[in-house]
Amino acid sequence: MSRTLRVLAAETGAQILINLRQMEFIIPTLVMPAGFYTLFAVVLPGSSDNAAYLLASFGIFAVLGPAVFGFGVSVANERERGWLQLKRVVPAPAGSYVGAKLMATLLVAAIALAEIYAIAGFFAGVELDQPVWFALLAVHLVSAIPFVFIGLIIGFFMPSNGAVALSNIVFLGLSALGGLWIPIIVFPPLMQTFASYLPSYHLAEIALAVSGAPGERDITGNLANIAIMSAVLGLGAVIAWANQRS
Amino acid sequence: MPNTSVIETRALTKTYGAKTALDGIDLSIAPGGVIAVLGRNGAGKTTLIHTLLGLVRPKSGQARVFARRPGHSLNRQRTGVMLQDADLPDGLTVREHAALYAEYFDDALDFKTLAGLCELEGFQDRLYRVLSGGQKRRTQFAMAVIGQPDLLFLDEPTTGLDPEARRALWRVIRTLSERGTTIVLTTHYLEEADRLADRIIVLDDGRIAADAPAEDIRDTVGGAVIRCATALDEASLSALPDVEWARLSGRVAELLTRNTTATLRALLEQDPALSDLTVSRPSLEDIFLGLTERAEPVENGDAA
Repeated sequence: MSRTLRVLAAETGAQILINLRQMEFIIPTLVMPAGFYTLFAVVLPGSSDNAAYLLASFGIFAVLGPAVFGFGVSVANERERGWLQLKRVVPAPAGSYVGAKLMATLLVAAIALAEIYAIAGFFAGVELDQPVWFALLAVHLVSAIPFVFIGLIIGFFMPSNGAVALSNIVFLGLSALGGLWIPIIVFPPLMQTFASYLPSYHLAEIALAVSGAPGERDITGNLANIAIMSAVLGLGAVIAWANQRS
Repeated sequence: MPNTSVIETRALTKTYGAKTALDGIDLSIAPGGVIAVLGRNGAGKTTLIHTLLGLVRPKSGQARVFARRPGHSLNRQRTGVMLQDADLPDGLTVREHAALYAEYFDDALDFKTLAGLCELEGFQDRLYRVLSGGQKRRTQFAMAVIGQPDLLFLDEPTTGLDPEARRALWRVIRTLSERGTTIVLTTHYLEEADRLADRIIVLDDGRIAADAPAEDIRDTVGGAVIRCATALDEASLSALPDVEWARLSGRVAELLTRNTTATLRALLEQDPALSDLTVSRPSLEDIFLGLTERAEPVENGDAA
């Protein structure tokens, strides 16, 4: 294995250990999505009708947590404690820090998704064709991109206690207002309009389309929106990164 | 031109807004030895270290480390660093931190050797979060030396440590120095420089106020600070035997002497009415005053 890959693997392993030793990280990432999905799709009366629909949007919820907390809170904390500065003086390959965080985020997200998929398949009676499962998994994992950018912006700009607060607001706000918990159709019109400015809403719509949920959708519009939002957030992340270095 | 220096700077300057952190630093450090960079807070010690690491870009002037630009990846492979205020993540044990660091370097020490060298035994499998201040510092130190560096930067390595932990760290620094590592450490403890350094560089207001072998500085520094209320003026105070410098504010005089007894005898003779007399060991502040005044003789005569 090359040095770069070895460092990346070691750094990813360390990052996962750090994450999993923190209750503040485990609860919003590995407990809340599965717990909420069980509540909404299995426990509540009439829920089995919604199980398939909710699977699509809760998958986005499951990826949102690891991305926002794994980047926002941890980057802010590590930057404030000087850990980022130490990273710049060791002979680690460029990008291994962010690369490892991304790998760790995707791994935790994959576990959170596996929990939800298992609940959906075994307890909520969701039946999807195998290609649909894989397509849904792909959409869910790719949805990490804009959320990671949001996390990076928080992590590079905010002091660490502010980052914790803001990450929570972003996490809960994007979930509730983006229609990840309750379908957007039941929202009042003003909130529906507001949702259309949130990446979580567009990602959920794409996931719903892929899972074959009924209803009329403007997938091209959703894709265009999410592409633009991701580009803007990505630019913001680069600016935030350059800003903290100088 | 072949260059055997580990560190070479010329007219190095760095400003932060209106504040000048480094003001024309010329430095040449040969391989081997412990170099202590002394100075009070804000003297430019940390900025100098950060510039040599490539963390900070100088405003003007030149810096070369291993004849390359600071921060070059080949330099990082040969350099160990312990930064002031730079903490390791809480959620890993000492051994896990070492395992990660070991991946960064071509020739890392195995954990057993590292633990022995840096005295990590007893807390090596504890999470960083629960370590005492001294144990955390030792862990940070271990991360600085795990790559068997040729050059080691220690920015205030013993600040906040109790005397025993400080002495433990000094032992390791000496061991590494004996093995040929070039060690640059900043400190504001005179005693630390005294115990460890082969060469002392005193920074004051971003400038080099003194740069000499440790013994030389120690010789000039020995003695005591005398404080008293006196009727004498500054000129006659400075003229007392063995006085390095003297200053007067109101009736209160302060002077640094190389020979306490001789100076005191003369002082009491000239002003039998003096009061509030104290004699103390010179603080770093006192020494700086002497060093900077010698470097830049006071020319203005206004003693108001």
